[in-house]
Amino acid sequence: MAETSTSVIASARPALDEALLKAVAATLGGDAAQVSRRLEALARYETAADPDRVRHLWRFTNPASLLPASVAGAAASGPVPAPAAPVAGASVTIDLWPGRAPAVQTAEDLPVGALTFTAADEPFPSGKALASDLFGALGDAAWNAGVGLKVADGAKLAGPIHVRIHASAAASLPRLRLEVGRNAEAMLVEQHIGGGPDVCVVGRTVISAADGARVRHAVVQVWEPGTSGHLAVETRAGADADILTVCGVFGGDDTKLELGTDLAGAGAHSEIIGVALVAGKQHADVHTSHRHLAAHTSSRIDYKAVAGQQARSTYTGLIRIEDRATHCEAYQENRNLLLSSRARADAIPELEIHNQEVSCSHGATIAPVDPEQLFYLGSRGLSPHESMGLVVRGFLENTLARLPDDARAMVESFTAPRLATIREGTA
Amino acid sequence: MSDAFLNPDHPSVVFACRGVRVFVKDGDTEKQIVRGVDLTVRRGEKHALMGPNGSGKSTLAAALMGHPSYRVEGDIWLNGERIDTLEPHERARRGLFLSFQYPVAVPGVTVANFLRASLAARRGTEIPVRAFRQELNAAFETMSIDPSFITRYLNDGFSGGEKKKLEILQMLLLKPAFSLLDETDSGLDIDALKIVSDGINLASGPDNGLLLVTHYQRILNHVQPDVVHVFMNGHLVRTGGMELVTALEERGYDWLAEEAAIPEGSRA
Repeated sequence: MAETSTSVIASARPALDEALLKAVAATLGGDAAQVSRRLEALARYETAADPDRVRHLWRFTNPASLLPASVAGAAASGPVPAPAAPVAGASVTIDLWPGRAPAVQTAEDLPVGALTFTAADEPFPSGKALASDLFGALGDAAWNAGVGLKVADGAKLAGPIHVRIHASAAASLPRLRLEVGRNAEAMLVEQHIGGGPDVCVVGRTVISAADGARVRHAVVQVWEPGTSGHLAVETRAGADADILTVCGVFGGDDTKLELGTDLAGAGAHSEIIGVALVAGKQHADVHTSHRHLAAHTSSRIDYKAVAGQQARSTYTGLIRIEDRATHCEAYQENRNLLLSSRARADAIPELEIHNQEVSCSHGATIAPVDPEQLFYLGSRGLSPHESMGLVVRGFLENTLARLPDDARAMVESFTAPRLATIREGTA
Repeated sequence: MSDAFLNPDHPSVVFACRGVRVFVKDGDTEKQIVRGVDLTVRRGEKHALMGPNGSGKSTLAAALMGHPSYRVEGDIWLNGERIDTLEPHERARRGLFLSFQYPVAVPGVTVANFLRASLAARRGTEIPVRAFRQELNAAFETMSIDPSFITRYLNDGFSGGEKKKLEILQMLLLKPAFSLLDETDSGLDIDALKIVSDGINLASGPDNGLLLVTHYQRILNHVQPDVVHVFMNGHLVRTGGMELVTALEERGYDWLAEEAAIPEGSRA
């Protein structure tokens, strides 16, 4: 085929214009400042280059398959959905539906002033650069569900901020903003649910952790079959901030998750722990990037993917250490387990190191289940599917063991049904 | 003594095979490793299988368990039932057991979780946690394995001796009708050999049977087989009692090869 990928992406870009963006802002009750931010993003969207299919970030996934055909008509119709019961133990439970204001349920014990709401797209005081990539600019311009949260300096929330993000419109463009003040502690759980055939999600989450803040953030994607989508998380860690990002990729058809953390302040630490369990014809693409911008920063990535049937897992990971960021430590590990001869995985770790005073390492493996393990377990009475379930659980174990107990329990509540389908032989 | 004329489905027979041949893929062709083995083990009998390195003893044991790498011809009987078309886990659930020469590590899976799953599979019912714990602790004590191994990952970082003790611990828990023990004595020091042998004897009773594959007399002094077979070049070339073991220790295997008219170069 002589066709170039560029033309395919260009023709797949959903059309945006001023009237459309004003209508979306009006639906959500956005003020004039929000409208002008959206229009500024429209300019970036129109000049954004197509994702480069030659570079690693987009080599394995066609961006055209992750773009909605149109973002028009995303304004809600019909009755307001009733939010489900609040999540047990959460300080705040928020439901986000496209075209609707967020539904917020606050725990009674939330201290006054600890948590305040902001516009979902309000810039951070740290003035993080605005997204110039296609998906980022699209999300900035046309987001149609969102919430902004600010945790006060020194505040410690007892329970997580749990956000259920419903992919209930053909084009669902959710947006989350979390600002965690100095020496504050917060946990954000971002649960992507819903979706279905021809539903496309473009989601964007931005987190700013001020100096000394401790942030735990979980992104769990359990979309229904048929859903495609691109989720991007951008986190900025100030001096001595401590960030834990947990990701779980389970649902949807073609999906991409980009986790980017800037270690902007000296002494900042970031850890990304992720698992993906995919089967059928799912394609799960995960990209992580740790950018060390300051000295004495450290980062760690442990990402494991299990692909069954004809599924495909793709991982690309970048560790970039700037010349001024001396005495940094960075570690990246990606392991992939293939449950069938037709499943496949790609693993591309990349290091970009611009000074000599660092300790940096990475490792990646792709392997099928060892038939000798299956024979051993079979000789003890376990069926091939039961054996496979046990081996997969074992494969994930030392990664899950790195999680704090509550985060582990949360992730396991999503892995358990997937493991059950492996044990029962349906995946 | 073993009685090759006894029907394989006779009630006194726990395990039997007839005309077993084992083939492995060798490029585009197949290579025959086992060239026709007949074996009859009656309830309560312990058989030993001895033979030189590379004679195919381990292949025979793995093939009888149903290893997917081998193509097997012939009949295999367990408790009067043909099992040669069954998957390994179906053979195991009916009471066949293989103690591996090199037990496989399964990282991330604790010994406790593995044993609970395999016990449930063998017994066809879940075992309550409390009852399981008691049974497990007793078995660990019997096999002199430190209880801390219960929460370790299966065979992951275990020494050779620890792995072999855990194999026999599984034999004790799973209570197989017939056990294939593949060089369970290799790599054991004197103390561990005694523990492993005692475990095998404890697991042996009037209703079950075993086939112990070994190179050495020392484990046979502990386990005391009723029948000893010598396996060479893919055949059982001689069957006898403990006196055969003594003769092998003194004279090696060559005299048997000559008697069996196995050409030099094919005596493995």
